[in-house]
Amino acid sequence: MTQLSPETSPLRRLGVVDLAVLAAVLAGIYAVVTVAREWAGHLQPLAEIHLEARYLPGYLLYSLTRGLLAYGISFVFTLVYGYIMARVTGAERLLLPILDILQSIPVLGFLPGLVLGLVHLFPQRNFGLELASVLMIFTGQVWNMTFSFHRSLKAVPPDLAIVARLTHLTRWQRFLHLDLSYAATGLVWNSMMSMAGGWFFLTVSEAFVLGKHDFRLPGLGSYMSVAIERGDGLAQVLGVFTMAVMIVLLDQLVWRPLLTWSHKFSDEENPVAPGWWLGSWFWRSRLLHASFARVRQWFRRPAPRTPVRETRVERAFPQGLLRLGRWLLLGGLVVAIGYAVIQFTRLVLQLNRDDWFLILGGTALTFSRVLAAIVLASLWTIPAGVWIGRHPRWSQRLQPIIQMVASFPAPMVFPVVVGLVLALGGGLGSGSILLLMLGTQWYILFNVIAGSSAIPRELWEVTRLMKLSTTQQWRRLILPAIFPSLLTGWITAMGGAWNASIVAEFMKYQNRTLLTPGLGSLISQATEQGRFNLLAAAVATMAVTVVAFNRLVWKPLGHLAEVRYSLET
Amino acid sequence: MATPLLEARHVSLAVELAGGKHLEILHDISLSLGEHQVMTILGPSGCGKSTLLRLMIGLQKPSAGEVLYRGTPVTTLTPSTALVFQNFALFPWLTVQENIAMGQSNSPLTEAERLQRLQHAVTVVGLKGFEEAYPKELSGGMKQRVGLARALVVAPEILCMDEPFSALDVLTAETLRNEIADLYTSKESPVNSILMITHSIEEAVFLGTHVVVMGAHPGTVRAVLENPLPFPRDEHQPEFLALSAKLHALVTQTVLPDEPPTAVPAPMLAPQAIPNVSPVRTIGLLEVLENEGDQDLFNLTHQVDTEFNQLLLVVKAAELLGWVNTPGQRVQMTPAGREFLAADIPKRKALLNAQLRKVYIFDWVLGILARAPGQEIDEESLLSQLALIFPHERPARLLHTVIGWARSAELFSYNSRRKVLHAGH
Repeated sequence: MTQLSPETSPLRRLGVVDLAVLAAVLAGIYAVVTVAREWAGHLQPLAEIHLEARYLPGYLLYSLTRGLLAYGISFVFTLVYGYIMARVTGAERLLLPILDILQSIPVLGFLPGLVLGLVHLFPQRNFGLELASVLMIFTGQVWNMTFSFHRSLKAVPPDLAIVARLTHLTRWQRFLHLDLSYAATGLVWNSMMSMAGGWFFLTVSEAFVLGKHDFRLPGLGSYMSVAIERGDGLAQVLGVFTMAVMIVLLDQLVWRPLLTWSHKFSDEENPVAPGWWLGSWFWRSRLLHASFARVRQWFRRPAPRTPVRETRVERAFPQGLLRLGRWLLLGGLVVAIGYAVIQFTRLVLQLNRDDWFLILGGTALTFSRVLAAIVLASLWTIPAGVWIGRHPRWSQRLQPIIQMVASFPAPMVFPVVVGLVLALGGGLGSGSILLLMLGTQWYILFNVIAGSSAIPRELWEVTRLMKLSTTQQWRRLILPAIFPSLLTGWITAMGGAWNASIVAEFMKYQNRTLLTPGLGSLISQATEQGRFNLLAAAVATMAVTVVAFNRLVWKPLGHLAEVRYSLET
Repeated sequence: MATPLLEARHVSLAVELAGGKHLEILHDISLSLGEHQVMTILGPSGCGKSTLLRLMIGLQKPSAGEVLYRGTPVTTLTPSTALVFQNFALFPWLTVQENIAMGQSNSPLTEAERLQRLQHAVTVVGLKGFEEAYPKELSGGMKQRVGLARALVVAPEILCMDEPFSALDVLTAETLRNEIADLYTSKESPVNSILMITHSIEEAVFLGTHVVVMGAHPGTVRAVLENPLPFPRDEHQPEFLALSAKLHALVTQTVLPDEPPTAVPAPMLAPQAIPNVSPVRTIGLLEVLENEGDQDLFNLTHQVDTEFNQLLLVVKAAELLGWVNTPGQRVQMTPAGREFLAADIPKRKALLNAQLRKVYIFDWVLGILARAPGQEIDEESLLSQLALIFPHERPARLLHTVIGWARSAELFSYNSRRKVLHAGH
């Protein structure tokens, strides 16, 4: 069963490639040991960060491990939460809004609880602090994956579900062969986006001030924040370079192979994902082929034999338990939410009127910045995206590059931009708009490209035959046709911009603190000063604003997009 | 008489619509499938054939009556059945072999027995050499062979098929149909009986030892005909043709009852709706009659290359508008039909407008609009009223058809953005 199409990739003898594979395995073992040592080490809240280049590989390793661990947790969370949400009757009505709210809470909203709780749990070892950092990265990754998985589960073709029933698949087999397989393509794409989302707040997740305590974990994020704080230009460049290396490595070693593999689950035929140059080289390794063949065989081993009777027993047995479990789950959730609401109210009631003015004023300011960033980003991404989408050759070539650029965490280049803005005589007030734009414009660009490439060629031809002017073309064809995808882009970009405001409105720059009034800087400040009541209120305000805007503006527009501007007739 | 293999006893099914209304899909159906029988179920679209099949397999529960397998009531899935789907229902991420093996994933056989059965199924349906292919690499006919093999691999006593050839082109369907007949008659095949849904009369006669004719709104059994012709059957045999003709007449009767409607008096009391066909198709029928002269329904099907049931609906709509008469099996254009066809577009609109006003459902909607404030009514409330008056129609589909006709006659208008119907233009 090992037909890896040898005619397309001639196998070479054991050679350079195999040595490279072997070296990679050894390096992997060494890396695991190093990371384990750091995690099990004595608690060291403020790790010393060296700005010399030779320390960078180590930092890269630490950050990469955190990112991957966080991703692992995200994946498990997604499967469990998404499955319950889609398959347990009635769960959706409660779990979907919760997910919506959680998604709109910026990472700093999770920070105090995670750090204080986990450090308290592991007072002697680094483990607690490391786990807190991982979980903060997790909060930047997980939500869109869960949404995507849930959407796929809801869209599983009914006929296939019937086949699963008629062939008496067990729950687990059904999950593996139907649900997970059907969701695979969407999960892989969203995983890529999630990973980028996790890196975005790396600087915050690894180095932060919480009240009187200063926390710093060894990693690329801390390296960058120290370099920025000290104004070390060379170190900043090195840090950015290392981050770029990590992103390219992840792209080539993880995402492109996964994308290639996930094509199996879609109806299109495309053996290798575009842009996977490392793959076409490595694919020729003999060692790899042999081990892949092993893995495949293992996966294809038939399921252990279980007589049909057992499935019926299984179906009869959990009915009562299932109902009990459902009520326990529901009850637990209600109690937890009730407790959280009471605690939250107690915390927030301590605030005085000035604090509330600060919060409301900050919301207005940040809101206008977010809007401005979206408008400015749209001004260039819409024309560019439409053009790229219209030229398939270019979009094929550019897509992988744009993806990589987009997954680079924008906050790492913020200092350069801020330096420019300051040199030109601007302040952080207007500069932060630029920073927000830098972080979120990609979502709009991606979606516009997708929307524009979906416009049928016939429609372009019609506009040409009717000799429509450019303005008419935009009004009659392009804007309506890309509207649904543009909307998706805007929604994602806006959510991202709100969250990004916590790093865009407040930063440590060359030994001083730059700050512009706004909800984001308020949250950052409150964290640094350890004012948890203000933090809670500000984070809640942000979440409420985002959710309210989604409900009141985006949702009606989404409905309009669906009924009027869908390209399906 | 021996206990039948599979039996439906007084089975009814009602589903709940939005707003607490009930729609009866199947009404008091009793059928029995004996050993070594091929039962083909024939009926107009929307008569609940597929739903009936799913009830028989145990995928759905009837709201009244029961399904019995060898005399025992079916509680979960009916034992020893397999289903072949209209649109194949293959897993795109599994190879042909893996898709077929899915059917036996939890059977209590040994590894060797399984493999042997798998290979047998692959050979029987002619998929040898395609085991490693993915469904996306196969043509429609080959895909359906995979669906068939997946069903056969469990050696079912009852092979169920839900319009298995409808998604295929004519030639491929012909081939597969013959293969199914061979499968049934072959001594080696494990298949004991076959239950097949179809909308093609030829298919029903070609394969069925028993042909069930269903009527719609709600779905009922109108007749069960025995077909003792020996296999292999030939479509040109006089007996074959006679039975086909008889079925054509029966199906026509269920859709276009001749006056006097002695058989079923009840529907005449019910208010008239309009069949789910578009004005353009109905006018197309007139054009054909104009060119080819009055026609036998049977010939007309071949003439216009349309599925028989669909054609019947078109004829029914034309009859409702007074454009054709249908004495027996013939379709004759009326003077009104001729006048309509000869008219130019504005005149046609006026004629259609006048005709539609005489049809109950349009008259009824116009009445509501006239009484409504601002001569406007929202879709939701109209739908719930429609459900009351036409309890056996799907309200949304009916309204869609009504709007289509009203628009082409400029009778009243519909705004899809505001979801309201309003009078005039």
